[in-house]
Amino acid sequence: MAAVRTGGEIALNRIAIVAVLVVMIVFLAPIYWIASTAFKPRALATTVPPTVLFQPELTPFVKLFTKRVQQTKPVDPATYAAAPWWEKAVYDGGERILKVGDSPQLSPYPDRFVNSLIIAISSTLLAVSMGTLTAYGFSRFKVKGEADLLFFILSTRMLPPVVVAIPMYLMYRAVGLNDTHIGLIILYTAFNLSFSVWLMKGFMDEIPKEYEEAALVDGYTRMQAFFKIVLPEAATGIAATAVFCFITAWNEYAFALIMTNRRAQTAPPFIPSQVGSGLTDWTVIAAGTVLFLLPVAIFTFLLRNHLLRGMSFGAIRK
Amino acid sequence: MTQIELRGVQKFFGAVQVIKDLNLKISDNEFIVLLGQSGCGKTTTLRAIAGLETIDEGDILIDGKQVQHLKAADRDIAMVFQSFSLYPHMSVYENIAFPLRAMRKSKSEIDQEVRSVAKTLQISDLLAKKPSALSGGDMQRVAIGRALVRRPKAMLMDEPIGALDAKLREEMRAEIKRLHIKQGSTTIYVTHDQIEAMSLADRIVIMHEGVLQQVGTPDEVYSRPANLFVAQFVGSPVMNVADAAVAEKASVASVIVGDAPTGFEFPRTLLSKLNGHASGSLALGIRPEGVLIRRDAADGFMAVETQIVEPLGSFDIVDLKVGSNMLRARTKSGFVAGPGEKVFARIDPTQAHFFDKASGKSLEVRL
Repeated sequence: MAAVRTGGEIALNRIAIVAVLVVMIVFLAPIYWIASTAFKPRALATTVPPTVLFQPELTPFVKLFTKRVQQTKPVDPATYAAAPWWEKAVYDGGERILKVGDSPQLSPYPDRFVNSLIIAISSTLLAVSMGTLTAYGFSRFKVKGEADLLFFILSTRMLPPVVVAIPMYLMYRAVGLNDTHIGLIILYTAFNLSFSVWLMKGFMDEIPKEYEEAALVDGYTRMQAFFKIVLPEAATGIAATAVFCFITAWNEYAFALIMTNRRAQTAPPFIPSQVGSGLTDWTVIAAGTVLFLLPVAIFTFLLRNHLLRGMSFGAIRK
Repeated sequence: MTQIELRGVQKFFGAVQVIKDLNLKISDNEFIVLLGQSGCGKTTTLRAIAGLETIDEGDILIDGKQVQHLKAADRDIAMVFQSFSLYPHMSVYENIAFPLRAMRKSKSEIDQEVRSVAKTLQISDLLAKKPSALSGGDMQRVAIGRALVRRPKAMLMDEPIGALDAKLREEMRAEIKRLHIKQGSTTIYVTHDQIEAMSLADRIVIMHEGVLQQVGTPDEVYSRPANLFVAQFVGSPVMNVADAAVAEKASVASVIVGDAPTGFEFPRTLLSKLNGHASGSLALGIRPEGVLIRRDAADGFMAVETQIVEPLGSFDIVDLKVGSNMLRARTKSGFVAGPGEKVFARIDPTQAHFFDKASGKSLEVRL
């Protein structure tokens, strides 16, 4: 049957396209704003009206990674001539890079970034693997009080987490977990676990039991059947769950702000701490934010095929 | 050489008893079909033998050894599932090799055995494909290949061709039979399709509501059904069953179907064989081919009116009005033109079955 569109349908379709474009602009505008600011000369970052056309530069990124101080007197021309391009860029802004011997001193940003990576990756691995095993158990075996237990697991998400932040901080301080990587890993794992269990339960329920039963009859133990048959089948669900857990852990701000201050501080509380007093260099903050966006974007991009399938997976009834 | 024996097997799902005191002996190389409606316990029985379901009481013996406490993996039994259950992330080759890998065979041995099974099943050209690229029939062949490759003690099949379309089902039925004759292994096959059961089985085991109804060769269960359930479950078109009363009339016995004004003539010996069984609790069973009809009046034939005619190609099924009951008769194609025709019918006494209405049991009357 050839679909002949009426004038009304064409008009509706156009309205839909316009609506999608508007929504896209609303969502992408802040990202464009922050990304363009990250490449702007400092002087253009705060102009009103905003500068749209400018010569992009990497100076904000140089500043992001280095410790600097204000120059009190003009730089020696010979030193300036001998400096590499990135150091010249800092001199041009009336600052100089602090050095230990000949090598530049790094700002805390790389450390905070690595902290974010360690904590987000570890807690994601833990939450997804524990969630997968728990979901398998709930999905395949008769568990006494299954509905109540699942509800209980979900109930950990019913309070806004910040409500318990202060008591959690006191507990963490008492056991010496504050400002440690392991502390935040435990916290984020616990926080993501309920989500991971529920999501994986949906995916596990979709995997026909017969696959494992075939493997059991084929001479494998349940554990072997789980690893050889169930896990590969659940890959899509695991990928989707991992992306959600990673994003949550990566973006978490409130607990990271309260529980950490230096050693285990992650990027989210660190970046705004640079706003500080006096003159804020917004280009540096923008550069830090852009770099911070990258891991999630890359991770999500790599798993995009699994994600798309994962989104519709639970909805299809076979 | 594999014998399987079930002794007093009981199984409950909560308060529901799905297998009731099941006793069955299956001998080596036998092709047994468990036949029954869905929910009759046949699949549960099969899964219990496979080790996928525990039993609450009784023994399951394979070659005389109790296995009810063994894990599925340790029973050396292969199973073909209705959904085929081919592992989607593995190629056909990997699927067939999977059981061999569990046995930790060498690479070359696995390769040799996979290829030999593939050859038997004529799927050698599919080995590199993923299951999702296969047709239903080929999936079935791969599933059977995966079961055969290990040379298990017994093959269990749970409605293995139920998911295929009618034509393919017939083809695969023949293929399974051919394979069984060639390979010869003790096979237990579950189906709700009595034609499948008749065509494949050495012996058919008919179950109903968890209770074994009859065990016998296809011919036995067809021509000597043990009770009303078996009588009506086996055979297509279905056997006519009607309340009947027997009276003595001159030198013959007369069997009155329902509230019909006259009865069908039966040999006098029926009376003694029924041995005074009360007429009030008697049911007559007669397959459509046992209802003989002709166009002109003859001795012993009763005048009846035709109702619906179902032309089925090689024969017709004609509904005959006998009192307020309907008797279905099998005739040559086109023998009766349509409803409302007057024909003459009689019941072939040698094909008649008599049942006790209360218990449903056959009275074992053979004329």
